[in-house]
Amino acid sequence: MDLGPIFQALMNVIGSPYNMGMLLLAVPIGMFFGAIPGLGGKLGIVMMIPFVFGMDPIAGAIFLISMHAVVHTGGSVPSILFGVPGTGADAATVVDGLPMTRNGEAGRAMGASLGASGVGGVIGGLFLICILPVLRPVILAFSPAEFFMLAIFGITFIAMLSGNSLVKGLLVGFFGLMLSFVSLDPNTGAERYTFGLLFLWDGMDIITVILAMFAIPEMIALGVEGGSMSLAGKQKGTAGYKGVFTGLLDVFRHWGLTLRTSIMGAFIGMIPGLGGDAATWICYGHAIQSSKNPEKFGKGAVEGVIAPETANNSKEGGSLLPTLFFAVPGSSGMAILLGAFVMLGIQPGPAMALTGMDIVWTLIWALMIANIVAVFFFIAFVPMLGYLSYVRGSLLIPFVLALTFLGAFLGHRSWENLIVLFVLGGFAYFLKKYGWPRPPFVIGIILGPIAEDSYHKAFQLWGYEFLLRPGALIMIALIIGSVGFYIWKSTRPKKEGVVEYVG
Amino acid sequence: MLKKITILILFSLLAGCSQSSNDSNANQPSGSAETAGSSSSGNIFAGENLNYIVTTNAGGGYDAYARLIGRYLVKKLGGDNVVINNIPGGGHIVGTNTLWKSKADGLTIGTVNAGLIYNQLIGVKTLQFDISKFSWIGKAAGEPRSLVISEDCQVQSMEELLASVEVIKLASAGVGSASYLDTKLLAEAFDLNVDIIPGFEGNEGEMSMMRGEVCGQFGTTSSVQPFVDSGYGHFILTVGGEVEGVPNAMEFVSTDKARRIVSLIGALSELGRVTAAPPGTDPEVMERLREAYTATLNDPEFLAEAEKMKLPIDAASGDTVDQLVMAAMNQPQETIDIIADSVRVE
Repeated sequence: MDLGPIFQALMNVIGSPYNMGMLLLAVPIGMFFGAIPGLGGKLGIVMMIPFVFGMDPIAGAIFLISMHAVVHTGGSVPSILFGVPGTGADAATVVDGLPMTRNGEAGRAMGASLGASGVGGVIGGLFLICILPVLRPVILAFSPAEFFMLAIFGITFIAMLSGNSLVKGLLVGFFGLMLSFVSLDPNTGAERYTFGLLFLWDGMDIITVILAMFAIPEMIALGVEGGSMSLAGKQKGTAGYKGVFTGLLDVFRHWGLTLRTSIMGAFIGMIPGLGGDAATWICYGHAIQSSKNPEKFGKGAVEGVIAPETANNSKEGGSLLPTLFFAVPGSSGMAILLGAFVMLGIQPGPAMALTGMDIVWTLIWALMIANIVAVFFFIAFVPMLGYLSYVRGSLLIPFVLALTFLGAFLGHRSWENLIVLFVLGGFAYFLKKYGWPRPPFVIGIILGPIAEDSYHKAFQLWGYEFLLRPGALIMIALIIGSVGFYIWKSTRPKKEGVVEYVG
Repeated sequence: MLKKITILILFSLLAGCSQSSNDSNANQPSGSAETAGSSSSGNIFAGENLNYIVTTNAGGGYDAYARLIGRYLVKKLGGDNVVINNIPGGGHIVGTNTLWKSKADGLTIGTVNAGLIYNQLIGVKTLQFDISKFSWIGKAAGEPRSLVISEDCQVQSMEELLASVEVIKLASAGVGSASYLDTKLLAEAFDLNVDIIPGFEGNEGEMSMMRGEVCGQFGTTSSVQPFVDSGYGHFILTVGGEVEGVPNAMEFVSTDKARRIVSLIGALSELGRVTAAPPGTDPEVMERLREAYTATLNDPEFLAEAEKMKLPIDAASGDTVDQLVMAAMNQPQETIDIIADSVRVE
């Protein structure tokens, strides 16, 4: 590989004050969009499109990619502090991040999340550089048959996220799957469970559903129980710099996990058709599987924060590749970015490999640098944000609820989503109150549509023989191995309840 | 305590910021409709955002046209900003239903997929609109269709496809979408031995061709041109336009049925990228929209930018679009039956 263009691209970013300025401007904006529940990177790009219109294509693209790259770095803040994830991908961080806050370890959790995000973004970027020469065969090796099996693989994680009762977990997971079928049938255009309501034609708004499942119950519970998000006394807490640095060190202490989930995140993000949200959950599941103490998860295990946070940032890099080389977006955010690129005069597609490699390298560098900048930028604020976990509920609830309503409304700009938020949020409160796990719901609603769409395509292409394709067989082996390993692990003498989600 | 209060104030400011950015950028300008309607003497577009509904996700051809045209159009109308409102789903139906129900104040316009004419001809129930009653603003370009075949396919020309005993797989978007119906009708017209695999949105069909799952797809020439330019495939047939060195479908027509079908696909191709306002939009407002639209499509700066973005421009007025739609809607029962049979899913 000729390294000249690669470093020339690096100079395009750091050697140009204008481009670097754009990057530095984009980072706080991206983190802001991530930190406000319901805004997220997708809406961030939509809102910034007027800003980059008419800009130099490279500078505009650097701005957008840098902003999008660090959205999840900011997104971990409300997930950890209040149990209010901004997107489906951020929801995985809630599972262990919130219990850490409850235990007075908000600072450590945020330190870990920050470190994991930064390292994930950089390792993810390096992985992309390494995989570029073989990108085409790797991406093309995944057909609808493999997408389907990967979705099923993700769905099996419901078992791991079910806490003490597998039955409860499965019921909640299937409820999520069921809601994912509310939409126009993707293959026939026929209405399905939409009750004649136009706003349901596109399916349940994922942001609204996530906010309803997590934000509303947390805030009701906080109101009912009183006190603050952190149950530990302030003196025990590690909200200051000490906690943050402990968390940062945790990322390197668990370097094996960090490395694996960074690469897994980038890889899953790279496969269009699976969607980036699945990456964080699959990596979270992997953290449980590979842990010597799976019973710690859900109760405030720092690995439970590291895994989804590394994946969150590395998947964005991964999903950039199919977007640029095949014009097939790897995630919903990338779908918007694709449109923005076209407007800037960058034409993603197969021709990119022939004529646009300088742009590709530039964007990968921008992605990595933005992730590093975000860490330094954020580190100044983290200890201060950590103190929010000690704010009295009565002061906190109105602010979080206002942001929640805003987030639910902005997604599709339909007021009907507020009704969904209320109804589903009330339901989720009772799930929480009676100890039913909520993470399986997110798995169901995220992976349901992927499984459905890829099943239809695979079946029509090959009939049931699609299950016998080599890729599908490998996936089936992976599923059996993973489930078997989990059963073996959880039935060993050490067993003491499996994973418990305390939320 | 002071620290806590400072932090909360910070958060509330953040919330406030996000609210205001929402107001200025991403919201439908619906609340301002009354003001716009009442100021009959002045420019009703002044100080207003133009809401441009695009019935696909961001990134497709419809989206690119709308973004480019919208930007110039709003300037010529004297408005503030254009707000691109992507409402995908149901093969353009969700977005078109939304456009149909939008306030007819001139501040909301949208792309309409000419392929919806098929759906209306056969009386698809989910359609809440009557396509012949939209207030047509104009057409940016025709959208010739071509059949593209990947280099790895066992058939490499139309002659070979016509003679193929082996079933050839073609990708298309969801059942009921224009892409699906075009493909199904083409197969019907020429009695092709093909299996249509639906559900491939955007450029997913090209990716499927690269993976060797499907052999080709019948779709808009412009959207698949980069794929052909990169050497992954080539066109073997075209309808409703001319592509150098590629035979027109009419050359292979041998029956009346085939002629009727190819003519219908050709008519929809000619309609191509059209933009409309909701029905019942005030004629004066329509006049302004049509003038600004025509002025946009003749603006040299606009044309240069369109060329840079590889978006062909072949403009026509709202009146012409109106006539084309009326003509396309006027089909004999026999043709309608053929379309209805095509969407009947076994």
